[in-house]
Amino acid sequence: MADMSSFNTLQLDAIREVGNIGTGNAATALSGLLSRMIHMDVPKTELVSIYELGEHYGDPLQIVGAVFVRSTGGFGCSLIFIQNEEDADVMVELLLKQQFGTHIPIDEIPDEMKDSALSEVGNIVLSSFLNAINILLGTQHQISVPGVAHDMLSSILDVVASIYGQMGETALLVNTELSVDGLEAGRKISGHIILIPDPDALELLLKRLKVM
Amino acid sequence: MVVPAPVKLVTLGLGSCIGLVVFDSYAKIAGMAHIMLPDSRGLQGSEKVGKFADTAVPALIEEMLKKGATRPRIKAKIAGGAQMFSLPGASAEFLTVGAKNVRETKMKLARMGIALVAADTGGNKGRTIEFSTGNWMLKVKTLGKGISEI
Repeated sequence: MADMSSFNTLQLDAIREVGNIGTGNAATALSGLLSRMIHMDVPKTELVSIYELGEHYGDPLQIVGAVFVRSTGGFGCSLIFIQNEEDADVMVELLLKQQFGTHIPIDEIPDEMKDSALSEVGNIVLSSFLNAINILLGTQHQISVPGVAHDMLSSILDVVASIYGQMGETALLVNTELSVDGLEAGRKISGHIILIPDPDALELLLKRLKVM
Repeated sequence: MVVPAPVKLVTLGLGSCIGLVVFDSYAKIAGMAHIMLPDSRGLQGSEKVGKFADTAVPALIEEMLKKGATRPRIKAKIAGGAQMFSLPGASAEFLTVGAKNVRETKMKLARMGIALVAADTGGNKGRTIEFSTGNWMLKVKTLGKGISEI
């Protein structure tokens, strides 16, 4: 199980299906939080060289807002919810508008409040994602307090490289995108969920889904 | 990778990784490694020696010596090793990998008798670095902190 590049197509499909179930639940939760339509794309399971992670999601120097959580228990994994800084700002505005009833421009929102709102969005998206997976697998889990960072995409993805680098040269990522509809002037904001399963969690998942 | 001057060596968006630059201004050569993890134990036979501090440092120094550097003249500069996320109460070893990278790289340089003349490490912000053999300085760009030369 050490080498991520050894999975067969059936197994990668099974892992993707788990991503699909998680994403559906995450989209529902985000929709409830913002009272808006949320679109989700079909998740992809990807094997990416750890040396190319920085470029995998576009410009490695673009500034992103990221929320990170660890889950322990039956299905141990790390999850990142990642957005362009501009999209993260709009997301924060939407959430605060929803909670306070008035629109506050992002420049007038203090940094701590921005981070706390972003971490709330990330937490709800990621914990709903995890709940669905754990229900499917019949496992119990604990989820950490979310960590927030604003930085270059490539620096954020170092976290992923350092997890998979200890096992080999390939990272297994379940990627999915959620986007918010109904914004003014046809604007669309989106966020990526990246699921990084622990190696023993993958084994459990494949056994439960009877593809190993 | 060791190359003759004049040259610019660049690494974009280092988070917990380390950018290690070594140079010999007399022999006019410089090299850079992008270190991801502190040690290669348990991963015998990995072809990517540059990935780990314990194998990257000796490999880079050896290449410098082969290309005309002498050990007492080689100087080193490092940047990176940040902790991008901190999760209160959660113990995830990989989140502190940056600090371990810094420690292992410094230790390896010291053991090999290589002078570490400048370092910008730790913190919670990513760095983009550029080393120029024009002035043998390492430019470090950090989000929100601007550019510094070390």
